[in-house]
Amino acid sequence: MTTFDWWLLLPVLAPVLGAVVVLVVDIAVPHVILGHYVVAGISLAIASAGAVLTLRPPVGDGRATLCLPGSGAQARTCFYSVTGVGAGLQLAALLAAAVTLLLAAPLEPRGERDRTPVTVALLLAATAGAVGVVGARDLGSWLVTLELATLPVIALAALPGTRRALAGAVQLLTTSLVSFAVLVLAAACWYAATGTPRLTAAAVLGVTGAPQKGLLALAVVLVLGGIGFKLSLVPFHAWTPTTYAGAPLPVAVFLAGVSKIAALGALLVVVSALSSLGKAALVATAVVAVASMTLGNLVALRQDDVVRLLAWSTVAQAGWVVVPLVSVSALGVRASASYLLTYVVSTLAAFSVVAVVVRVSSGRSGRSLTSYDGLVRRHPLLGGVLALALTTLAGLPPGVMGVVAKVVALRPVIAEGWWVIAVVAALNAVLGVAVYLRWFRVLVARPTDAQAQAPVTAVPLHRVAVLLTGGLLVALSVQPQLLLGLLG
Amino acid sequence: MVLTLLLLVPALTGVVLLAVARSDRAESPGATQAVALTGSLVALLLTVVAITARPTVDVRWVPTLGVRWHLAVDGISVPLLLLTAALTVVVVVHSRGREPARDVLGERSAATFYACILLVETGALATFLARDGIVFFVAFEVVLVPMWVLIGRFGDEHLSEQTRADASGRFVLFTVLGSTLMLLGILLVTTRTGTSDLVALAAAHGAGLDRGTQVAAAVLLVVGLGIKIPLWPAHSWLPPAHTVAPTAGSVLLAAVLLKMGTYGIVRLVIPVVPDGFAAVCPYLAVVGAVATVWGGLACLVERDLKRLVAYSSVAHMGFVALGLASGTWTGLQAALFGNIAHGVVSALLFLVVGGLKERWGSADLEVARTALRDVSPRLGWSLVVGFAAALGLPGLIGFWGELLALYAAWSPAGDRPTGVFRAAVVVSLLGLGLAAAYALRVLRLVWVGGSSERWVTTLPQTGQARDASGREWAVVLLLVAATVAGGVLPRPLMATTADDARATVGQAGVSGRSGGGGR
Repeated sequence: MTTFDWWLLLPVLAPVLGAVVVLVVDIAVPHVILGHYVVAGISLAIASAGAVLTLRPPVGDGRATLCLPGSGAQARTCFYSVTGVGAGLQLAALLAAAVTLLLAAPLEPRGERDRTPVTVALLLAATAGAVGVVGARDLGSWLVTLELATLPVIALAALPGTRRALAGAVQLLTTSLVSFAVLVLAAACWYAATGTPRLTAAAVLGVTGAPQKGLLALAVVLVLGGIGFKLSLVPFHAWTPTTYAGAPLPVAVFLAGVSKIAALGALLVVVSALSSLGKAALVATAVVAVASMTLGNLVALRQDDVVRLLAWSTVAQAGWVVVPLVSVSALGVRASASYLLTYVVSTLAAFSVVAVVVRVSSGRSGRSLTSYDGLVRRHPLLGGVLALALTTLAGLPPGVMGVVAKVVALRPVIAEGWWVIAVVAALNAVLGVAVYLRWFRVLVARPTDAQAQAPVTAVPLHRVAVLLTGGLLVALSVQPQLLLGLLG
Repeated sequence: MVLTLLLLVPALTGVVLLAVARSDRAESPGATQAVALTGSLVALLLTVVAITARPTVDVRWVPTLGVRWHLAVDGISVPLLLLTAALTVVVVVHSRGREPARDVLGERSAATFYACILLVETGALATFLARDGIVFFVAFEVVLVPMWVLIGRFGDEHLSEQTRADASGRFVLFTVLGSTLMLLGILLVTTRTGTSDLVALAAAHGAGLDRGTQVAAAVLLVVGLGIKIPLWPAHSWLPPAHTVAPTAGSVLLAAVLLKMGTYGIVRLVIPVVPDGFAAVCPYLAVVGAVATVWGGLACLVERDLKRLVAYSSVAHMGFVALGLASGTWTGLQAALFGNIAHGVVSALLFLVVGGLKERWGSADLEVARTALRDVSPRLGWSLVVGFAAALGLPGLIGFWGELLALYAAWSPAGDRPTGVFRAAVVVSLLGLGLAAAYALRVLRLVWVGGSSERWVTTLPQTGQARDASGREWAVVLLLVAATVAGGVLPRPLMATTADDARATVGQAGVSGRSGGGGR
């Protein structure tokens, strides 16, 4: 008999149900903006509770459900399985979705042009995809959930209908299609090599013949390429700055947070199934990681638009996220997930502050670096949180979490003896510091008189987002174990 | 408990000051300074308690990484802890009423200024207390952002924004490169041995690490820490940083931050990877010797007085490197003594030179000025003492470290190439000569009076050249006293570090005992 643990599936099902309820409510009672947010909040809270339930010890090798009947642990086929790392990623994705929702809240009534239900439903659907892909253990649901995490975001990016938004959305669409094609090809190779659609270690163990092994290696490289698009790894990064800058800010936040977690979650499903990556995939990982860091940092150094700066910083940080995967082990997987979560929390904090500043300053000027002159003076909370977020991204105290994340990310690299990568990563740590201190310097500069007079005020919803992410950063900097322990 | 408190007090004082600096209510500079002074005094008191009680803290911090919050005090860290805590009090006392950038940034910036000083102290104390490799690395990084703010935001107001940003940026980027390389070395050792506990690693003396790993780790650690020390040729960040930094920043930078590099070598390299360090030593000795000459030559032609003192730091750190490289107990003692000596002397020099720059408006040596012995005899004599100590005059604190370093390097540990070391000693002697030359050059120009072209002794007074008085004179006098005391009575300081230095060299230096026994 097939097992079905509903609470294990709760993190996936709750957002989906939430999306459906939002759409139904919109039909029944139009123009109830607040209601949609309440529904979304409740569904995310239920989903988080499910993830926390999954995390409760003992997690062991993970909890599985949707298992087909079979004799013995080896023969059992489960279609959904969450490890400690997976549940940690799910929790982070739900939190990132909640912050995105806070920032996406419409603050001015827009009457007939209001798109709240659509926005909220799309956000919830994409979140369900991101959470689901972490647990997917067969090619079909893996591909479907991964695309579910991507496609709604394209719609969200295009919703404003402006030229810039459409340009960004089209680029994201094209990229996603290419990425999907590559991933489908990867899935085909995987199926041909292993003879089973299952993404498990047992499936890989069955591969014996030389041609099959070659096909499997090809599948892994293709997966890396396909996921590379979503993670903004060089050379698949080109869409990132255009889309971030063109899309509404909350969509950029979603892309930087939930989408990245979905992409890494999908990658880790495949990596966890392998006992070794094979030489081609290892070299590809190393080259892609190093290229991402270097190019991302170098271009970010020259950005004056903070959203573009954060976009290029995403490219650079994506390199740091995949660099631990040169060690195909539980160590590498955990390190990669830890680094990603650190990046997500600090980027969300930075974006929350940017959202406030953009709202206060008229037009697009809130996105230029000069709008942040003396922010620590003008608004201590915003300035402080942004300063902490930037130092975390740079890996400098007081952002101790960022320092620990760098340690975590470099440890597998050193353990495997990849010296060239380690030294290039060290150089990139320096470049990264240059990137973020450039922004930090603006924060502690003297505000111009006009700026000093114009007060910076955050609306309550934004304030909650800033406090939530900022508080999380402070807690993690005092006790990094909170995050590392979450991932087992 | 005391140790954690020792770190919390300056850290929390700094955070409180930052919070005050950001609030909108008007702030009285007296209260700000009082808070900072209280914080630094309590920290000094706790340091003294910690030094006498020698407590240990060892609790879990990040179990996933096997990192423990392990702090302890031993003979090697005692002088450095005391130096850090005492100099923080000195700079806080000295800065009262002369907080930089007040006119430009407004009254409230004073709190940020003091907060940065206290945060630098926190990082330095944590570095000297840490007994876990990863905690050491984190502590090492703590000083960066506050020091960067001190240089970039509170730096010399006469310079352009761009110059200050360049100097502070260069400081941060060089140091981050150094510390990241150091991190690679630490990670190499910890992944191969399975522990990052420095006490356990020091006790193992490199057991369980093959030679290749040891050499790789030693290279990474020495290069990384060498940037911080700074060793020639990685010193190019230091002169601009010193030129731009305010007096308090310069004092902390020279007297405390540079020591973190040499301390790192003593703590992380010598006992942990002894064989690897032995392989690196000849290069370290050569680099040290070159640094003494390079620094001396730069000082001979340098026009800016602060920059000149910075180059003399490079030369002095060369002697310390030479002592460390020798691998003997005497050499290590010399290096540790030289470290403290340089801390005291450079603090004295930067206080005096900073005071002069404040009075003159610049630190250009080519400008003809009234002789210092005529207008400000107190500052003048302090400058004489400082430069006399810098040139290694017997009877002053600078003498012992340099003499012993040369002595130790002449007969290095058995496994070191004697020829290379003797050549390094000969080169360093040249450096010693250069030190005398540049010290006398400065004193002739500034103290005796007159520019290099014209001997002018009776110029009209430029600006208000007041002599030091009050707080400034008190702190300068304190450092002059320390300079003399260390020179006349080197024994207490030597005795403090003796046992732990012997344990550190341990099996690493075979001839260590015979070399050091003579003293």
